Amino acid sequence: MSYADNFKKMKPGLDFGQAVAEADRCLLCHEPPCSTACPANTQPGTFIRKLRMKNITGAIRTIKENNILGGACGVLCPTARLCEKECSATGIGRPIEIGKIQRFLVEQSWERNLNLFDTPNPRNEKIAVVGSGPGGLSCAAELAKKGFPVTVFEARPEPGGVLRYGVVSYRFDLDFLEKELGDVKSLGVEFKCNTRIEGDRGAEKLLENGYSAVFLAPGLWGAMRLAPEKEPSEGLFTSVEYLAALRDGRLEEIASQVEGKTVAVIGGGSVAMDCIESAAKLGAEDVYLVYRRSWMQMPAEEDERIESLEAGVHYLLLNQPTGYRTDEKNRLTGLKMVRTRLGESDDSGRRRPEVIPESEWTLDAVMVIEAIGNRAESDSSRWYPNVDVDDKLLIKADPETGTTSTPGIFAGGDIVRGPALVVNAVQDGKLAAKAIQEYLKE
Amino acid sequence: MPGKDIDLSIEFLGKTFKNPFLLSSSPVSNSAEMVARSFDAGWSGVVFKTLNSDRLPIIHPSPRMNSYHYGDKRLVGLQNVEQISDRPLKDNLVDFLYLKKHYPDHILISSIMGFSNDEWAYLAKASEDNGADMLELNFSCPHMCIEGTGHHVGKAFDLIEKFTATVKSTVSIPIIAKMTPNITDMNEPAMYAKNGGADAISAINTVSGISEIGLDDLVPKPNVFGVGAVSGTSGPAIKPIGLHFIADMAKCDDLALPLSGIGGIETWVDALEYILLGSSTIQVTTGIIHYGYRIVEDMIEGLSDFMREKGIARVQDLVGRALENVKTTNHFDLDRQGISQYDLDRCVGCGQCYTVCMDAAGQALEWDAKNRRPRLIEEKCLSCMICSFVCPVPDLITFKEMPQTWNRKETAVMDPDLEKEIAHEPFIATSTEGGNECLC
Ligand SMILES: Cc1cc2nc3c(=O)[nH]c(=O)nc-3n(C[C@H](O)[C@H](O)[C@H](O)COP(=O)(O)OP(=O)(O)OC[C@H]3O[C@@H](n4cnc5c(N)ncnc54)[C@H](O)[C@@H]3O)c2cc1C
Ligand SMILES: Cc1cc2nc3c(=O)[nH]c(=O)nc-3n(C[C@H](O)[C@H](O)[C@H](O)COP(=O)(O)O)c2cc1C
Ligand code: SF4
Repeated sequence: MSYADNFKKMKPGLDFGQAVAEADRCLLCHEPPCSTACPANTQPGTFIRKLRMKNITGAIRTIKENNILGGACGVLCPTARLCEKECSATGIGRPIEIGKIQRFLVEQSWERNLNLFDTPNPRNEKIAVVGSGPGGLSCAAELAKKGFPVTVFEARPEPGGVLRYGVVSYRFDLDFLEKELGDVKSLGVEFKCNTRIEGDRGAEKLLENGYSAVFLAPGLWGAMRLAPEKEPSEGLFTSVEYLAALRDGRLEEIASQVEGKTVAVIGGGSVAMDCIESAAKLGAEDVYLVYRRSWMQMPAEEDERIESLEAGVHYLLLNQPTGYRTDEKNRLTGLKMVRTRLGESDDSGRRRPEVIPESEWTLDAVMVIEAIGNRAESDSSRWYPNVDVDDKLLIKADPETGTTSTPGIFAGGDIVRGPALVVNAVQDGKLAAKAIQEYLKE
Repeated sequence: MPGKDIDLSIEFLGKTFKNPFLLSSSPVSNSAEMVARSFDAGWSGVVFKTLNSDRLPIIHPSPRMNSYHYGDKRLVGLQNVEQISDRPLKDNLVDFLYLKKHYPDHILISSIMGFSNDEWAYLAKASEDNGADMLELNFSCPHMCIEGTGHHVGKAFDLIEKFTATVKSTVSIPIIAKMTPNITDMNEPAMYAKNGGADAISAINTVSGISEIGLDDLVPKPNVFGVGAVSGTSGPAIKPIGLHFIADMAKCDDLALPLSGIGGIETWVDALEYILLGSSTIQVTTGIIHYGYRIVEDMIEGLSDFMREKGIARVQDLVGRALENVKTTNHFDLDRQGISQYDLDRCVGCGQCYTVCMDAAGQALEWDAKNRRPRLIEEKCLSCMICSFVCPVPDLITFKEMPQTWNRKETAVMDPDLEKEIAHEPFIATSTEGGNECLC
């Protein structure tokens, strides 16, 4: 299939000349504001200076020492509202493309086959990490660098979390993921995939079975649901199911369902964008984004929204889904909606959608993807019953250390913050790794 | 930071420097407060701003520098009319004491310049008595107008020997002679310094130059209230000059003195080039004027990574390693010839190669206007490679050797018919002077 290669691969990043030219524009600020703005302390001010000074290995080292997923962040971070937002060069034109330089440098490390870290003195205390998403990987790498034997337990067949089973492959491809995972593996981290931590007190039992500390980063793999009266038997997906299917070997199957058809996606966040744009790229005839507020209230990044328009997505703003229409075999045939208008602001500061009476209508569609939010899996706290959680099942952890209410158990990433960013999970993993070392000293 | 396995330390005049990177004598080494911060950043030693004896007041012109920009590139060169230190000698010496007390493992080199034998001796003694580990004799400041000072000494070779000998007989610490590049052959004055007792040579000081003239007032810059002057150029623009003098001295068997390389160093690559040509230490001013002390971090890390990659453990083992490859041009094998080759898949279609090949080379390119691509006529390529210098895509144009059977086409004459009108006899040499080979 012709689309498949485009779909599976990211666009190439900067080459050497482009990266050097971009770094040449950097003003090499005193107390670089970009560095302060990075949630994971990746230090763009320093690595760009190092590139400028022909200290390329050093530049890569700066990235990877501070952020073992520096490549993933270079590709996936919404830099326009992080480091690049603070760039002083904006004052004389436009910001430096920091994310692209970062990606370039990390790719260089693979091309040059660099070994960036010294072998540490081995430690005895075993550490367990639950979940191999960005949070788990970052914590594991940080502790492995310090010589601890670390085991990562992963429920799914392969490591990576959202990076493997969430983000669409044309934004973050398998080849890139494998290389960055290779950086973690080369530190000596052990992965146990297809190994779900579950059952009563599953996490706590790790502590009893020889692990000195546990880091929980299981992410958010439950889907918020529209909860209609009647669910179709065919044609309805949650974003979690749909996106995972694109990456776990069922791409061709999904593509054949989508091609030439009408698809609707419900939601206004970044995940909805991945769903809708991918459906368009897979050859759907018409793709509709259904969102109950308007353009300005959408949580998705501006560049993602514009890109989706360019991919041919039709925007059905100010429409609220109410249920599904099905045929006699209970297969989906349409999405029922009502029109809305914007009223007063709600808690989130965005204007609240109000239903317009008697405005019901139905959009013909054979596939609908609900992308209205990820949440903790409903049984999650069964395997850590003594770890305090809030009413959304998010773990209560100290933001500076990841410490939970159970000694020896630390947590970070989306399971603590709610839906956040790769770079936030990386930082949580780093902070927890530090706190775990402190904890082990006591 | 990389590897415990890499040893950047270097022996120079009996002292161990923890790395080869020093501040050169200039505003970047003007006070203990500054030097202390540079040591904290990673520099291993300093040549302090040239002392004065308080005999004459030193007043710097204002403004005292001008930047030589090239297009968007800032500071490819720097023009300065600064004098030696304007601080009282006592203050500089108190700062020496501070640095030796707080940074005993860092090397303090005192730069001095006198106007007479006794003044040289006086400054040398004061430096030694207040903790200087070594002396650098400044025979090279280009802003001294009085005969017998600055680069006037550097050009009057007997004075170099005389003043060096005076200092040598006054102090027991090692002596470095700092040379001016404003001469043709540096080996000769360096030999005078050696004969006077110098233990090492440092080079280069600034190159005499004019880099910019104000187009409204017609005054060279820096414009000191309507007056400009020939003054000292430093920075990346002068690196080729510094490298050449260092290589010459390193290859001079009679001289055989340790060298400290200076001139246009910003990155570890520049520093390494000076080391490969025979410098044991290197010194920096304009690089710091441009970027600050922080660049030493990249010098340390960059050089360490290079050494690790090449499997070289000690920086000492790099000193002079490229010298055997610096030969005179008569060693070239002219039977081997090559041409340029183009990887047109990556071409962006700017056509700069075509422009320069037409106007400055062999007219070896044709221009496919429709597709905006050059086409190489191999037998016309001169292998000057200027097309590759202007090509914006890295390594799109590269050099390749041609087989011995290949021949370059001679440049055609415009109108062969005019040959019958030519007034010309072939040259027949009447003497053997000048040898039988020429390459110039
Ligand atoms: C579709 C999508 C697109 C996104 N795009 C971006 C983006 O472009 N940029 C960005 O910065 N962020 C993006 N994010 C957010 C980002 O991916 C998350 O914030 C980040 O992945 C959170 O990392 P984590 O380690 O907390 O969890 P996850 O990445 O969710 O990883 C958790 C892992 O734990 C495993 N697990 C769960 N329970 C168990 C158990 N009981 N036992 C063993 N293993 C278990 C899961 O299988 C999973 O592999 C996106 C998120 C989604 C869903
Ligand atoms: C502003 C300025 C002042 C300088 N003052 C001195 C000096 O007092 N004594 C000295 O020996 N060299 C002096 N130099 C020369 C430098 O030490 C150095 O030899 C020269 O600048 C070349 O190195 P660079 O290209 O790294 O700047 C000065 C250079 C500059 C730019
Ligand atoms: S750099 Fe400092 S001392 Fe020099 S002109 Fe500017 S403000 Fe004045």
